[in-house]
Amino acid sequence: MEKFFLGIGIGLCFLVLLCLYRGIFGPTVLNRLAGISAIGTKTLVILLLMGFIYDRVDMFMDISMVYAILNFIGTLAVAKYLETKGEV
Amino acid sequence: MTRATDDVIIKTVSRIFTPFIQIFALYVIMHGHHSPGGGFQGGVILGASFILLVITQGLDRTRRRFSQKLGTIFCSIGLLIYSGIGILCLILGGNYLDYGKLNKILPVIAAEARSLGILGIEIGVGIGVMAVMYSIFSDIVTGGE
Amino acid sequence: MFLKVLSISFILTGFFFFTTATIGLLRFPDFFCRLHATGKGDTLAVLLSLIGLAIYHGFCLASLKIISIAVFYFVAQPTATHAIARAALRCGVKPWAKGEERR
Repeated sequence: MEKFFLGIGIGLCFLVLLCLYRGIFGPTVLNRLAGISAIGTKTLVILLLMGFIYDRVDMFMDISMVYAILNFIGTLAVAKYLETKGEV
Repeated sequence: MTRATDDVIIKTVSRIFTPFIQIFALYVIMHGHHSPGGGFQGGVILGASFILLVITQGLDRTRRRFSQKLGTIFCSIGLLIYSGIGILCLILGGNYLDYGKLNKILPVIAAEARSLGILGIEIGVGIGVMAVMYSIFSDIVTGGE
Repeated sequence: MFLKVLSISFILTGFFFFTTATIGLLRFPDFFCRLHATGKGDTLAVLLSLIGLAIYHGFCLASLKIISIAVFYFVAQPTATHAIARAALRCGVKPWAKGEERR
């Protein structure tokens, strides 16, 4: 069962690299913001899968909850800044 | 950045989620020796919840509940708890922050006194970090006024 | 045994939705279309993956915490997507019509 989780984790890391393309080369700033938010989502699932591989679920669960909260607050803050700045 | 958002969805969702984020931050502070966490991480999450309130509800509504004077007082209270426990151990006859000597006033054994001492300074650190984060953010976002 | 097959199927479905959401993020011609792909696909994929992991772990306290992470994410991620779309509309990003070039 660990091999299956490891395979899914490696596949998700490859998807993170694909999302990083939009995070670097997005034509405007808002594209980069959407890309980074998607990377945060995939990181959350990768962390939880690592917890299942190492058999210490309780530890990695708290870390992923903290990361979900901080991703949410960060995306809201950057979106509000770009809205008040007025031009992309 | 200091005006409230004029959007119903963001205001309602942030108003619903702020108590749960704060309770989770207290959980992270308290479980410092069982799971990843402790004083600094819990203080950061507490400060982030106040920053969420500032960017969605507006700065003056948040300042009515948590004024700048209260932020400065909380900074000092956090530091006072930390060094107060250290000096208390010094008075009771040990080194600075030697929690084993706390069993002269609390009715516990020495090993449990160490655990309670660490919990006490984590709470102090958490309060201090939260107040500092809120003060720095509200200073930067108003341009120093 | 049945529980393991169920959890593996949930996690594989979640991985499939992650893949299609990322392909949509790269290939769609407009900003609002990409926001559709990542906002909806990623949320559903996280929900299914976390339900699969919670079923695999059995019925204990840790599974309830994983379900609570999933419920928080189910409410928070569409709100963040809505905030980004609102900021784009205020900044004057126009929607894409068929026949224009990619942007």
